[in-house]
Parts: sequence; structure tokens; C-alpha cells
Amino acid sequence: MSTPAQEFLRSAAVKSSDLVHRRTIRTGIDHYETAVERTGERFLDYEAARQRMHEIKWEAVNHLDRYLLEFEKRVKERGGRVYWAETAEDARQYIAELAAARGVRTVVKSKSMVTEEIDLTHTLEKQGVRVYETDLGELIVQLRNEPPYHLMTPAMHLTRAQIAELFAEKYGGVESDDPEHLVAVARRELRKAFFAAEMGVSGANFLVADTGMVALTTNEGNGRLGSSLPRIHVAVTGIEKVIPRMEDLAVIWPTLARAAVGIPIACYNTLLGGPRNANEPDGPEEFHVVLLDNGRSELLADAEQREVLHCVRCGACLNVCPVFRKVGGHSYGTVYGGPIGSVLMPHLGGLEKYQHLSFASSLCGACTNACPVKIDLHHHLLQNRRNAVKETQRSFGERSAFRLLRWVMMSAGRFAFLGGAGRALLRAAYALGLARTQLDPLRPWTQTHAAPRIPAKSFRAMWKEQRGAS
Amino acid sequence: MAQADQGAENSGRERILARIRSALRVPAPEHAAPAGSASGGAIFAPIADPLERFRQECALNKTECLLTSDLGASAAAVAEVLGSIPPGEIFVQDAPALRRMVPLWQGRAIRWSSEGGPAEASQATITCAEALVARTGSAFVSSRCGGRGASIVAPVHIVVATIDQLVPGLDEAFARLRASGAVEKNSMLCLITGSSRTADIEKIIVMGAHGPRRVVVVLATA
Repeated sequence: MSTPAQEFLRSAAVKSSDLVHRRTIRTGIDHYETAVERTGERFLDYEAARQRMHEIKWEAVNHLDRYLLEFEKRVKERGGRVYWAETAEDARQYIAELAAARGVRTVVKSKSMVTEEIDLTHTLEKQGVRVYETDLGELIVQLRNEPPYHLMTPAMHLTRAQIAELFAEKYGGVESDDPEHLVAVARRELRKAFFAAEMGVSGANFLVADTGMVALTTNEGNGRLGSSLPRIHVAVTGIEKVIPRMEDLAVIWPTLARAAVGIPIACYNTLLGGPRNANEPDGPEEFHVVLLDNGRSELLADAEQREVLHCVRCGACLNVCPVFRKVGGHSYGTVYGGPIGSVLMPHLGGLEKYQHLSFASSLCGACTNACPVKIDLHHHLLQNRRNAVKETQRSFGERSAFRLLRWVMMSAGRFAFLGGAGRALLRAAYALGLARTQLDPLRPWTQTHAAPRIPAKSFRAMWKEQRGAS
Repeated sequence: MAQADQGAENSGRERILARIRSALRVPAPEHAAPAGSASGGAIFAPIADPLERFRQECALNKTECLLTSDLGASAAAVAEVLGSIPPGEIFVQDAPALRRMVPLWQGRAIRWSSEGGPAEASQATITCAEALVARTGSAFVSSRCGGRGASIVAPVHIVVATIDQLVPGLDEAFARLRASGAVEKNSMLCLITGSSRTADIEKIIVMGAHGPRRVVVVLATA
């Protein structure tokens, strides 16, 4: 059995040399970047929007008990139910039992990372419930029997030709790989499920404390159908999703839309409060909100990293991350990928198991700059590294190497001497024609890169010459 | 029996709350706190002419915006849209203003929202709105506007609105929803901007994913 770290390295090596994968991701990211830039013009001051987003989430997360209780009270006033789930198992069980008790045979799901986190679909399927992913991207990865590739665009890694082939195999009646046609095929198939389902399961983008409403954002309208047609609606989400006031959404909705996909605002921004009222023509008879902890309260206790709970799951940090762009979403082997996943997973799944993700970063800070709620992501990666070194067992080799490095770096003389020796050694090796062979001292690098030109002098020597001795 | 049906509070609730309270005893570090009291800076530019902006935004997000002189003219405009869609039942919010428009609609079979939700095969839905938002070219609807399915089930959604419902931005829209009691009275509110779409295949935008392919706002300016 290989460890998650070994799996990551293996998959990362495969993916980063897969040229089709790289081209597909490049195309997706190019579209995203152009769109984000264009929507920037719609803001007088986007930085002020980020600051406001940060303030809203700060207020909510640092008074989490108060706002969750207010939310719960208002949901109950509206005739809805709130269940607090301590673990993934707890949340799954509540929903599975509810489905069984109500004779549910078909569930329509709209896109939700929390349902991935609690692995809801398999649990429901085991008790004979048909579960349909209704977000197009989620549907595609469900049909391929693989996890979502990306928080926001789950099928980003696939080309239209691959999707056409998939639909032809599963559904038939596919005439071309034109995206418009493929969307029509999916619409036709899913419409039957929407009208047959007894239960709709969604996530929640936000929980609005002062109105007791679940805010759900979709472009396709699948979340709208799933919360309108079935007789039961279950929204399952993390406890950190609460916000104080409905009015906060005036900034949140457009800012989220820009960060997530580069549009002015999503097509459907919906607020759902309770089951249908007596005087309303349709809507679910039952409305349940499942509030999931699953490690979040422990992250809350880590004051240094508490703001990681501000995350709105827009996926912007993935899109801008040079590591994500090369290794792709599946290499992480986690529910939450990219920089936010690397920060979060040690908290949700254990430091021992997921620390390697925090080391797989150049710490360039692109994620921090892109984050619409201003989470200091790259510093949290650095803190995870520190915690990993402090709290987990390091190998004898690693400890010795760092002890040696420290000893060398503590003296300018030792540093200069060993640097010079290293350059001399490399020059000699390369003069013998060892560059890029098995015996190349820089083998790990030169395996996939051209051999570097060995400089004649050290950086310090060149600095002295060009700037004069100081 | 499902836990949902057991009267008692679920046992995890108190434990989660206790963990949250204990976690928050340590304040978050100073440097991460929002600077100053609150950000005062304007995020969006003010809108000089809401109607002009609304029309521009509708053009961008592919909402059809039809301006009429009054509700009588709106009835005719709706009739014209109905003329362009296949025969079959339509679903209409049971509101006096819309009831008055029926004589102009060429004897279409109508299902009223007072009779339940829209049928799966509805050709179009016609509803009012709570507000129109200029900055994004959006219609704010609620479950009062014909229910939840009214704005999502049929391939065409026609919104009948009046100019006094148009507000510059979301702040003003929320204020209006609060003032009218719409927040308490409705189990659903939805800000609709353009027609249903997806970009899940190669990030290419395709209209008409699950909801309406056409959204038409018929706006009476007097």
C-alpha cells in the first residue's frame, strides 16, 4: 500500500507530463482568466469588495455559536428542521435514515462539496436509492465514476469529445460533440429524474442567520429544480457557512461570481427558508438543514488558521495555482484540492496523512492574491509545514540533512567554501559528459529539465564586483 | 424511526456548540483582524440612469427586455411573445393584474398558480416580480410570484413588471424585500439574471441548461 504522499508524487509526475491534460487545463484557465479580467471593470473597487467579504466572514466565524443559534431559531420558525452532525458518519446516517423513513427511491443532488466530503451518494445507493448528480460537470464525473476534478468546474479535465463519447455510451442519441447538443442531452435525461425524485439534496453557499434562509447559487438552475419539485429538500453544509445578514449578499453574490467563474453575477441566487407555506402553490413539504462539524470546530480552535473557515469554495485559488495547473485536481487525492485543500486537509483528515500537500507548493502567493475573502493561504501552508516538523516523526536522513544545512549556513566561510566545492564538482562532472546521465549529481532536477550552466563565481562574488565592496 | 422524527434535540448539538465556544475563547490573532472599524469605500459605481443600465445589462445577459407604455400595452406585448412559442398550456401567477390580461392571449390554455405548481409540459410561465435590479439586469422573484417552479420549469419565463419596481442595486432590492414583508412571507426568494446556462464543458457558455432558455421582462414605464 502506498502512502497518500507517494500517490501524490506518482500522479503528479504522470499528469504534469500529460500534454493533452495540460492543454485542456490551459484552455479552461485561459477562459477563466479572460472572464475574471473582464468582470473586474464592473467593480469600482474590487479590493474594497474583498475587504468587505473578509469582514463579513470574520464577524460570522468569530461569533459562530451566536449566528448558528440565530439561524437555527429562524429556520424552526419557518417550519424547517436543523440537525447538527458531529461527523461525516453522523450526517450521512441522518440523511439515509430520513430517506428510508420517507420511502425515498430517487434523489436529485445539486453540486455540493460537503456531500462529497461525507460520501453521501454511496451510502444512499447502498440502500437502493437512485442518486442523480444534476450539475452538468458533476453528472459527467459521476458517469465516469470518478471524483470531481475541481471545486467549481468538476469536469474541467475533459474535452468535449470525451464527454460526447461518454454520453453516447450511457445515454445514446448523441449526434455531435457540440457543447450545446451535449447540454441538451443531459437536460433531457435529468428532467425525468427531477420530476420523479422524492428528495432533493443540495449544499448551501451561505446560511443567512437573520432570516433563517439557505443561500444557494447556481447557473444551471438544477438547484432551483431540486428545491422546488421533490417533496423533501435537504441542505447539508458546514457550520462555517453562516453569515450574519441577508444584506451581506449584496456584496457576496457579485464578488463570488467574479472569483468563481468571472461573471457579473450567477444566474440563480436563491434564498430558501423552510418548506412551502400553506398559501404557496408548490415547493417541498419538508425542509431539513444538516450542519456539519467534521473537524471544523477543531480548526476554529486553531486561532492562527481560524480564517481558513472563511473560505467560500469559489475555486479561484486552484485556478491561479502553478502547482494545480500542472498536477491537476485528481493528483491531490482529496475532496478539496488546490491551495485551499492543501491548507484544509491536514485539519479534516490528519496532519500525518496530508502534510505533504503543504510542501508541494512554491509559496508564490498567487492563491492569497486571488482569494475573494483574503485568506492568507500561502502563510497557512508555511504554518502547516512548521506544524508537521514539530508534531510528526521525521526521518533520520531528513533531520541529519537539515542539521548539516544549518551548520553550513550559520557561517559565511563554510557556506562560501562548500558552494565553491559544489560548483567545482559539477563542472568536473559535466566536463566528463555526465550531464543528464544516471551519474549527474543534479539527477532529480535534470531528469526532466535541461542541465543548468554552471556559474564561474558565486552570487556573492558577482554582487561584490558589480556593486562594489561594501 | 429516523432521527428527524424524534422530538428530542440531537445529542451532537450541545457538543458542537461547546466545542465552538471553547475554541473561540482564544481570540484570532490581531494581524488577521479587519483593519479599522469597517470598510467605508464604495464597491460599485453609482447608477445615474437605472432604466438605461437595466436595458444594457439585459442585453449582456440575454434577457429580452420589452418596454411598454402601460399594463394594457404589456398585455399585448405578452400576447406577442406567446404567439412565438409552440401551442400548449401556459402557467400564470394568479394575480389580478395578470388576470386582466387574459382576453388578449388568444384563448391559450392556462393553469393558474392557485391550482398548484406548473405542469412538466408547460410552454411558458408568466409571473410578476418583487423587484428589478438595474446593476445586473436581474428580476427578484419570490414564491408569491406563482411559486417555486414558476420561474424554472418552463422553457420560457415572462416577467411582467412596472417601472416603480426597478431599483439601482442589490442593497435597494433587499431593503424593498424587507419593507414589503416579502422576506417573512415567502419560503423562497430568487434573484434571476438571464436564462439558465452552464460552462461545464470546456468553459464554453451554453444557454438553457435546466431552466428557461428565454427570460423576457415586459416592463411598463408608466
